[in-house]
Amino acid sequence: MTTINRQATPQEPQNPRDPQGLHEDLHEIWGNPRGLKALTIVNHTTLGLRFMVTGMVFFLIGGILAMLVRTQLAFPDQDFMSPDIYNQVTTMHGTVMMFLFAIPMLEGLAIYMIPKMIGARDLVCPRLTSLGYWCYLFGGIILMSSLVLEMAPNSGWFMYTPLSSSEYAPGLGSDFWLLGITFVEISALSAGVELVVSILRTRTQGMALHKMPLFAWYILAMALMIVVGFPPLILGSILLELERAVGMPFFEIAGGGDPILWQHLFWLFGHPEVYIIFLPAAGIVSTLIPVFAGRPIVGYGWVVFAIIVTGFISFGLWVHHMFTVGIPQLAQAFFSAASMLVAVPTAIQVFVWLATLWLGKPKMKLPMLWIMGFLIIFVCGGLTGVMLALVPFNWQVHDTHFVVAHMHYVLVGGMFFPLIAGLYYWLPLFSGRMPSETIGKWGFWLTFLGFNGTFLIMHWTGLLGMPRRIYTYDTGMGWDIFNLLSSVSGFIMSAGIAMVLLDIALHFRFGKPAKQNPWNADTLEWANFMPPSAYNFVSLPKIETRHPLWDDPDLPRTMAEGKHSLSVANHGRREMWGTDPITGKVREIIHLPGNSWLPLFAAMALAVVCISLLVRVYPLAGVFVIVAAVLLLRWSWENGAHPKAAPDAEVAPGDPPLHSRTMDGPGLWAMAIALLANGSFFLCYLFGWFYLWTVSPEWRMPETSPLSLIGLVLAGLLVTFGAGVLEKCVRGLRQKRDAGLAISMYSISALGFVQVAITLWVLLSANLEVTETAHDAIMMVGLVYALIHGGLGAILTLLQGLRVGYGYVGAHAPFEPAVVAQLWRYNVVTFWVLVGALAVLPRVIGS
Amino acid sequence: MTSNIERLHLTHPLHFVIGLTLWCIWFVAVYGGHAVACAVAPPAPEQGVFTLVNAMLLMVSLAATVLLAVLTLGCCREAKRHEGRLRFNAAVSAGLYLFSTLGVVFTALPILGIPPCL
Amino acid sequence: MRERYKRHAAPLSIQRLTRQRVNQLAAPLMVIATLFLTGCAGDKSILDPAGQAARDVVLIWWIMLAFGTVVLVVVVALWLYAFKRKHVTRTAVEERRIARRWIVGGGIMLPVLSITALLAFGVPAGQRMLPLPLSEPPEVIEVIGHQWWWEVRYPGAEGGEVVTSNQLIMPAGEPVDFHVTGADVIHAFWVPRLGGKIDMIPGRVNRIRLEADEPGVFGAQCAEFCGVGHAHMHLYVEALERDEYDAWLAERQTDQLASLAVNDQQHEPAREAFMTHCASCHRVAGLSAGEVGPDLSDLGSRTSLGAGVMPMEEGAINDWLHNHQTLKPSNLMPVHDDIDSATLESLGAWLETLSP
Repeated sequence: MTTINRQATPQEPQNPRDPQGLHEDLHEIWGNPRGLKALTIVNHTTLGLRFMVTGMVFFLIGGILAMLVRTQLAFPDQDFMSPDIYNQVTTMHGTVMMFLFAIPMLEGLAIYMIPKMIGARDLVCPRLTSLGYWCYLFGGIILMSSLVLEMAPNSGWFMYTPLSSSEYAPGLGSDFWLLGITFVEISALSAGVELVVSILRTRTQGMALHKMPLFAWYILAMALMIVVGFPPLILGSILLELERAVGMPFFEIAGGGDPILWQHLFWLFGHPEVYIIFLPAAGIVSTLIPVFAGRPIVGYGWVVFAIIVTGFISFGLWVHHMFTVGIPQLAQAFFSAASMLVAVPTAIQVFVWLATLWLGKPKMKLPMLWIMGFLIIFVCGGLTGVMLALVPFNWQVHDTHFVVAHMHYVLVGGMFFPLIAGLYYWLPLFSGRMPSETIGKWGFWLTFLGFNGTFLIMHWTGLLGMPRRIYTYDTGMGWDIFNLLSSVSGFIMSAGIAMVLLDIALHFRFGKPAKQNPWNADTLEWANFMPPSAYNFVSLPKIETRHPLWDDPDLPRTMAEGKHSLSVANHGRREMWGTDPITGKVREIIHLPGNSWLPLFAAMALAVVCISLLVRVYPLAGVFVIVAAVLLLRWSWENGAHPKAAPDAEVAPGDPPLHSRTMDGPGLWAMAIALLANGSFFLCYLFGWFYLWTVSPEWRMPETSPLSLIGLVLAGLLVTFGAGVLEKCVRGLRQKRDAGLAISMYSISALGFVQVAITLWVLLSANLEVTETAHDAIMMVGLVYALIHGGLGAILTLLQGLRVGYGYVGAHAPFEPAVVAQLWRYNVVTFWVLVGALAVLPRVIGS
Repeated sequence: MTSNIERLHLTHPLHFVIGLTLWCIWFVAVYGGHAVACAVAPPAPEQGVFTLVNAMLLMVSLAATVLLAVLTLGCCREAKRHEGRLRFNAAVSAGLYLFSTLGVVFTALPILGIPPCL
Repeated sequence: MRERYKRHAAPLSIQRLTRQRVNQLAAPLMVIATLFLTGCAGDKSILDPAGQAARDVVLIWWIMLAFGTVVLVVVVALWLYAFKRKHVTRTAVEERRIARRWIVGGGIMLPVLSITALLAFGVPAGQRMLPLPLSEPPEVIEVIGHQWWWEVRYPGAEGGEVVTSNQLIMPAGEPVDFHVTGADVIHAFWVPRLGGKIDMIPGRVNRIRLEADEPGVFGAQCAEFCGVGHAHMHLYVEALERDEYDAWLAERQTDQLASLAVNDQQHEPAREAFMTHCASCHRVAGLSAGEVGPDLSDLGSRTSLGAGVMPMEEGAINDWLHNHQTLKPSNLMPVHDDIDSATLESLGAWLETLSP
């Protein structure tokens, strides 16, 4: 049963067991443990809820910080907070809301919703979901602890250097931010990678790309944007932390660095981030509007178009946050024009929604009320956004309260309102109960009026010249009354939000039981039990249309009765479909790992690394990096034909093979997407190198390159040769040949280790003065990057050799070497590019 | 020419991202090229917009526009020839290529009116 | 103690007037209307321009606001109407046609036309602020941002460079090029009533061209977050007629200021105390060359102390020397607990005389 049967047509079960029996079988395999073992759960439903609940807790903390800010600004010359505390509070408000609430919350929603919407039973890398959650939780706690210790970051949430550098921000504040956020970022990236792969490869049978629910399109775009957009910040954070901890002068003029590089890296992340937050929220809108209009969305293709355009254009706008740094006007004009272009896809969506309402029979239910609130606030924020894209106007209002108001219109209007709409809409699914319309309406109106009272007025305060981030102001500027109104309205808004949260909390106990598919929706998540079971669906249906539940209202019943595919569970595996990314034809059966302690332990080890870097106990950090690496490698060990994964590859007649017995499983895709993120990191590194080289005012380049070209070329040849041999092995496996596989793997690994040794020798013999010049420092970072990747490639290949010996890898289970080969290919390309950029170009061009 | 376009498989969803990726590459090329030009050999401010820098940026933009326009037309033609999924793919790609084309034109407009390095 | 000084008599009296009227009418709508009307004025108000660059922006703003309001209202009204209107059953072809009309009209034409118009407006307005070469080279003033005060230099002054701090005196009715940079972290130079802001970045010099139509006093404040003192980094900007400006510069030539600093025997002990305690950080022309803190050579002639924290009145410097960490929390001048009060008082009295 190891042949790859791309056109498999799974048969419907002949004699399905009774539904209760099927449920028990599936529950046996998928069910969540209780007690302490609940920490091992990897299930997307549970983890999605954990993400959302944790996000809400951070939201409340961020909200309290906001109220502190508004209290301080309510009157002129207040002494409520000292300037330093105020700076900590504003910095943390922005940081918490962006990194600990908005993104994890929406990721949580996506993690919960996506498998249910696309007819899968879990995300494709369940242990990664769990690791992501724990990293998020621990990172968030580390970050919040800084507030309790009164040493929170205080340089503003975008941490501009040199204000955040060790000279002007002594103490641990900035370190908390840089390390904590990077730690939390692991969760964003892991969720990004697995959401992409899940959406592309685990949709149920027949759900072709163009039949996918729009929400999945939005999440696909968001996840890809996370994958490409977060690495710049991670790079920036690493560089800044290196500058603070070791003294490498990346952002220091005197050492040949440039503070503006930080701004580029930050906003290269920071602008896409706004759309990373907006797109899923718009996805909620595009999901709800057709349901409440009682008709399919008009212009499905237009929406897909708009999503893709937004995803890309948002990467070409970052400089519009930097219009006042003195970039030439022509360059500013490029970004100005690009920023305005983004109005087109946004307007298309607004009018698609309008047309859908226009042609349907819309009903103003509670979720729709929040959608209306979204529309008003978001359109307003979008309009001020277009205004801000205009350079001369931007020069006036940049860094004033006008921008603060605009940003809250976009983020609260564009994210929070749709989020609440979505929560109200999906509450019956979470709990099986309906929320209260009355409390919900009160909550909405208080929030809506409070919000506009706070921020509409704040535009005016900004136009009167009030800069942002001042902890106090003089009377007599005309700002007093507007600030007071903003503060009062801010408290009204928090009362509204409290009411909404109360409503949601109460409904779990007092809500009326909901009937199946209470809003008469069209998408598959409503075919779940309410609340859902751990395995989502008893059987996986074949989908022919974009609106499965409208076209076959009986589907939930037949699915629960096991009348569709993969309802058998006596093999003891967690199974779901692996389908073709474009056509949705079934390709293989994906078997998923079960609950595991490894993600928790790995996250704990990483947390120890994070804390020991923070308190600068580097040996401890080194030890726990190794501990974390061992745990993660152990994790990768329990795959494929390992006894804990799928030792027996037997499948039902007519079913396709298990993914670990093919050459094209989802792991290959996960590796590819992870390398996309890695590539984005690498490109940002190259950007940093060339940026400093051409732009940095005091850049110093040595007369002769300190790097040994011969050494580097030798190392490059080794890694290229190793990758070539590995490719040959993979080609052999494709043809079922695995003779001498173990020996080949060991030899390739040895080549990798020699390459690492040579690179290390080049690095050491270069005698880089990393604390003296940015040139040497950034060169060091590049070589260490090459070292880490070379080492990783060598270790993974070594493990493959061992796995061949254990019988987990071979002609019968040929999948994993193909995954490792991708990393080698990547290493070859990046290594030669590094050699070219760091060692060849400086020799050719000279300083 | 026609056969070349057929070889591009314009009904494949990969074309959803190629147009805007080209736009991004063009954008980075123009922005980066402009920055390097201004760092290495800034023209005298007296020259106004009639500088080598503006001319080069304009040439690159024109080339990108032509390339994207050809791909737009190709996708349009493919969309008409198919039904269902393939038509959907080609039509969305056509829209995205068109947007990328106009995106290049729109974003490049300032090159005509603004001196490069001020 | 921290009574704020009022630079502007006029707007205050207007405010007082309107408050009286409001009390009589006591209509909430009136409150809001008058607030916004009188609110346009203000020391730092973008909406009360005093130079061409700022005026261009305000014009664009009002146009954008009007247009944006129309768009917002129409879109929201259409959405609401979609809920109210009676549902009409249509064929699929009709539906597609209607949908396409909405999407092409609202989703494409509307934004494309708007942003094209906006760019056509905006680019020329931006160009006016470019430091393009002029037939007659404009006055150049250098402004350097420090944590948390302003250093202002006049490299073009006849008879040698003039240095002052926390006050920016400029000629009115002619373009002035500001060359700005930061000494420590990034600050931003912004005189809202004259035009846009520009960042003051350590290691780089940014240029911006501004022009004040007429003589007058303008508020300014650091616009880029720069640490604990960010809220207390004000700059006093005054535009003078050209001849007054030249006279002002002439008074501040180093030799003039030096004679001012040392001409008076009565203040000799204060000068000695200054040399002991202050000179390593502060410059007084002819006496010391400190560069850490603000230049004090013409301190007595300035309108405020501590970068706009308190008004300059008799005894103000003394007050500042005693209480500066309360008046301007976390400022970088050390607390003077080690200096006795009488010495501080004499220092204050002497510094007040430094007024050309």
